[in-house]
Formats: sequence, structure tokens, C-alpha cells
Amino acid sequence: MIKVNNLTKIYADNTALSLPTLSISKGEHFGLVGNNGAGKTTFFSLLLDLIQATSGQVTINGIEVAKSEVWKNQTAAFIDDNFLIDYLTPEEYFQFVAQLRKVDQKTATDFLSQFEEFFNGEVLNQKKYIRDFSKGNQKKIGLAAAFIGQPELIVLDEPFANLDPSSQIRLKTFLSSDETKSTTLLVSSHDLNHVTEVCDRIVLLEKGKAVKDIPKTAKTLKELEAYFSGQ
Amino acid sequence: MNLFTLQRKETFRAPQWEAKMSIKVVMVLITLYFLVAFVLGASFIYPGLNKAVLTKEPVEVFNSVLLYFFFFELVLRFFLQQLPVTNIQNLILLPIKKSKIINHVLFRSAFSGFNLFPFIIYLPFAVSMYRDDYMAVQVLAWWSALLLVTLSINFLIYILNKDNRVFFVLLGLMALVVFLESLAFFDTGAHLGKAFDLVVENPSVFGFFFFPAIASYAAGYYFLKRGFYIDAGLKQKKGKVRGGEFAFLNVFGENALFLKNDLRMIIRNVRPRQIVIMSFLFLFYGLVFFPQEIYRNQPYILAFAGLFVTGGFTLTFGNYVPAWDSSYYKLLMTQNLSYKKYLLSKWNLMAFVTVFCALLSTPYVYFGGDILAIILAGALFNIGLGTWITLFGGLLNKSPMKLNVKAKAFENTQAFSLNQFLLTIPKMVLPMLLYGLPAQFISPTAGIISLAGSGVLGLLFRNKMADNITRLYINQKHETIEAFNQ
Repeated sequence: MIKVNNLTKIYADNTALSLPTLSISKGEHFGLVGNNGAGKTTFFSLLLDLIQATSGQVTINGIEVAKSEVWKNQTAAFIDDNFLIDYLTPEEYFQFVAQLRKVDQKTATDFLSQFEEFFNGEVLNQKKYIRDFSKGNQKKIGLAAAFIGQPELIVLDEPFANLDPSSQIRLKTFLSSDETKSTTLLVSSHDLNHVTEVCDRIVLLEKGKAVKDIPKTAKTLKELEAYFSGQ
Repeated sequence: MNLFTLQRKETFRAPQWEAKMSIKVVMVLITLYFLVAFVLGASFIYPGLNKAVLTKEPVEVFNSVLLYFFFFELVLRFFLQQLPVTNIQNLILLPIKKSKIINHVLFRSAFSGFNLFPFIIYLPFAVSMYRDDYMAVQVLAWWSALLLVTLSINFLIYILNKDNRVFFVLLGLMALVVFLESLAFFDTGAHLGKAFDLVVENPSVFGFFFFPAIASYAAGYYFLKRGFYIDAGLKQKKGKVRGGEFAFLNVFGENALFLKNDLRMIIRNVRPRQIVIMSFLFLFYGLVFFPQEIYRNQPYILAFAGLFVTGGFTLTFGNYVPAWDSSYYKLLMTQNLSYKKYLLSKWNLMAFVTVFCALLSTPYVYFGGDILAIILAGALFNIGLGTWITLFGGLLNKSPMKLNVKAKAFENTQAFSLNQFLLTIPKMVLPMLLYGLPAQFISPTAGIISLAGSGVLGLLFRNKMADNITRLYINQKHETIEAFNQ
């Protein structure tokens, strides 16, 4: 579904990302790990055509993201606060996103009802603006919105950060459920535990380069921990 | 550890200072121009009153309307003055005494641009008094009393701004004052004026004006001290949800989505609200020019004034497209949306408001049908062409917008660039020529036809315009995202 070809992003003399080749197939749950500055967000931003590549291309379903905008029909993302419209209420925000994805109001409301537990009664019907919610609840709003309309490809940057333990577990359950089985899911995380649980393939970035690309096995977590502790 | 050092760094490291030197120079010149214009304007008050009112001293007349100056100042500050309390959060855990921080905040607020009022309005008047035949000590006492009142209002704003109830009480009091005066029952303004007359007669009386200043300082101090917790006074106000579904907009079909969003943005955020209020003030701009006979034969000036009457919203709102959406621009850029529809919805909003302003401007017919015709032709130009020119200008304006933060005086300079300055040529000069040239050399009617015709042409080619501007917006996509990300 996603193909990367000779992709580089260079800021001044600093190579933020250099991926000679990478392909992610449909329905794959793809995890990206790496320390700060490893290039995770850079990769996601290139994939979503938010920044311009220095060289190379990314294609989604054969469409080069920098050339055409058709990929937006089947893609959703939650990268940071810049994906929230903070003066809307969560309901209005969900409806806005739903309308853009051509999902009618009723379908969207029904779809969101499965997040009831995840929202923990703190998101819907609160009669307040998104900007007045806590960071954790804002994150929940952004995450839930990404799933509206069941896009084929969903990109989530650090979805577990800022969430309380219960919500982290609920999110993990959701990401591993049948609901997202056929979704191509790209997740980055600093939490090796979560990411290995949710994903079936892990790529480890360091200084912009993919140093490991491994399918998930029982040993993956140990291997990653060993790598990051420098052993 | 010096709070003033922090203050200095905050000011000089702000984005607007990082602008190019040339822009800074232009901005300083523009600021100076306005200051000088105000001071000059104010210096005509005294001689004007001297001629207009023969039975009373100009100072007495001026004093009797001071109350309304104060009211005006209060309302203006309530809507426009942003208090620096949010910066306190960073200091709250550092080993600095609360009292020191609070005193610093209050002291620093005295340097707000709004406190220039006594200098640009009262000081020229005071100088005129001195040049007439008042003694220096009288003039100084009178002016100091006014300065103290301004400071009192300055400190009072702290309380007003945090508590809407206080504001409504005050609004009620203002209404009561006006009501009692209209019944000729009790003229508060005149009584307050007497107090200032007294200062002129007996300068030592000015000492009494220290009381309100000290009292409001103390009130502000007490208020800040009590609220010195991040869940109390230091918290940003949380708004009740305003504006709902706007279901009536559904007639616009798919465009309604963005239109609703824009309306919510305007209603729910401080900054766009400010700009919309300002843009309606433009409706009265014609009153400056149209009543004066000397402008009657100056077609360029008439066109200039006429354009502003209906163009306020287009000029101010359009200038910040797409900056209005800067805080969620990444979302928009990854969603399945057509850029053209996005821009057309902004266009629709501007066109709608311009038509609305054109309807509101019909009373200008009082100054003659020809004046109204200029205004309406100007409205057509604003809708047909002005909108696209401002949308193009907005694209050049790559400063992210903090929607829910009030603008400081002159803060708009941040968004100022040389390109935008150059854009005033097609925005203002072009329509002035479109009307002015035919009006001067053929007839005013020809001017109207030419100006209105250009607008109609713009409307006819609306789709073409939209396509071209859309292409520009798409070309600038990455640059814009990067700039908004800062």
C-alpha cells in the first residue's frame, strides 16, 4: 500500500531522514520506534505531504503524495494538536471531520458510540470547547476522529503519550481488535511495550536511518530493550 | 533575578522584532504618523471649543464631557486590552515573593499603549490651556488629575476583565447615568466636570485624585493576590459554548461546512471578534468625508471613502486567510477537502458581509444619491475584485494567528510585510482610479459605471479567479504549513 523510494529529508547539513526503500502492505500494523530526533515525525510528515522531501518519493496506493491529492480520500492522521480545531466542541469537531469524509451524521454518531468506554464519560455532552479539555482528553478526541469513516490508512504519532493507564489499555485493545484488522495502521511510540503489542512489524529508526526492520515475535520486545539500553 | 530583564527579553525576542529592518522602519514611521495625527487633531479641540462656545471657558466644556471619554476608554479597554497575567504562571514556582510579582505586573501594566490616552488627547489640550492664559501649576494639576484617572481605569480593568458580572454592573451604571441625564434629572457628567473645574481653580485639589488611583491599585493587588493560583485568577477564562448549529446555512450545501466553521471561529475567539467589531466601525468612515463640501469635487477621495464603508470586513478578515486556520492547518491539509471550496467559502462569507454592509450603508443617501451610488459601486468592486486581492494578500501573510488572545496595540505589525504594503495599490489605488479618472474627465456617472463594471467583471470571472488563487495557495502549501508550525 505504501512504497518509499530513496526518500531523504535534509535540513542544512543535517540528514533528518534517509530511507532507501520501504514498503508497507495493506492491513499491516506498522510500528515506528526511535529516540528523539530519530526521524519518526519527519517520516510521517513526508508521508502526509506536510513537508517537502529533499529527494525521493512516497506513494500511497500507487499515488505519489506530493503530486496528487487523491490519497487523502482514504487517509487519516493524528500527529499533534494542530489536528484539532480547538474552538469547536468535540461533537462539532467529529461532525466536521465526518462531513469531510462524506459520512452522514447518524453513521458518525453510531460509529463513535464504540468509543464510549475510551472517552470515560468525559468527552461527549460536556458543552465545552476542545481547548478547555485536558491534554489527555484532547488526545482522545483527535484519536477517535482519525477513525471516523474507516479510512484505509491511519497514521498516529505517539498515540499513547498523555493518556492515563486505563485509556492506554483501552486504546491498545481497540487497535488490536477486529475493527481495525483491515486498516493499515502506522504508529510511532516511545513505549516499546505498547508498540510491540499493537503492531506486527517494527522499524527502528536512528538518526534518520532504519537500523532494524523486524516482524513481531515473542522476542521482539527483549531485542528492542536490549538495543535501547545499549547492550 | 530581575523581572524587568525578563520583560525586556520577552519584548525584544517576540516574532515581530525579528522582522526585517526595512519593515520595522516603515512600521515605526506609520506609528509616528498616527501619533502625530492624533496629537494634531487633539490640539484643535481647544481653539475649536473657544470659537464654538462663547458663554463658557473651553476647559469647562471639555470637563463636562470627560465622563464620556472615561466611558469610551473603559469599553475600549475591556474589549481590546490584554492583561499580562498569563505570563505569571512561569514565575509562580520560582523563589520570588508573590507581592513582588504582583507589583511588577501592575506596574508594568501602567506602560500599556492604552495609557497613551492622556498624552495624545489631554496633553495637547493642556498645552493649549497654557498658551491661553492659565498658569503652569493649574494646567499641570488638571493634567495630572486626568493621568491619575487613566491609571485608575487601567488598574480597574484587571477586575473587569476577569469577572463579567462587574462589567455588566458597570454597563448598567453607565446606562443609568445617560438615562438620568436624558431626563434632565441628574447630570453626572456635569458634576464630574465641576470636580475638574475645581482643580483648575484650586490646583491643590488634584491631590484627591490620588485616592481612586490608589484604591484601584489596591483592588487590583488584592484581586490578583486572591487569584494567585493556577486554577483561579491565572486561568484563562473558559467560555460557555456559544453559537450552535447554524442550520439555516445548510442551504449553501457543501459550502455550509466551512461557513459554519468560520462563523463559530468568529463568535468564539477573541481576536476575530475584535477584528469584526473593528470592521463595522468602517461603516462610519464615510461620515469623515461625505459631509464636507471640499471633498465633493474630489472624485478620488470620494471613491476612497466609499470603498471603506463596505470594505472593512473584506479588508480585515481576508487579510488573515489562511492565518485564521493556522492552528489546525495540518488537519485541513491532510483531509479530503477541495482547496477551491475552502477558498470559495471564505469568499462567500466576505461577499455576504459586504452585501450586508451595503444595505446598512443606505442611510448615506442623506448626503445625496450620487454618494450612495459610489458606495454601492464600491461594494460591487469589493465583492468582485477586492475579495480576491485580499485573499491573495492573505497568502503572503505567514504569521500564525493566536485566535483566543487579544491583540496588543500595534501587534498587527507582526503580519505586516512589504508585499502586503504593495498590495494596497490594487486594493485601494486601482478602484480610486477606476472611479476617479472617468469621473474627472467624463462624468461622475461614467465613474460609477467603470467602478461597478469592474466588480461585475470580477463576478463573471469568479470561477477563473478562484482557480488561479487556488493554484497559488497549493503552490505555497509547504511553506505555509512550516510557517504556521512556529
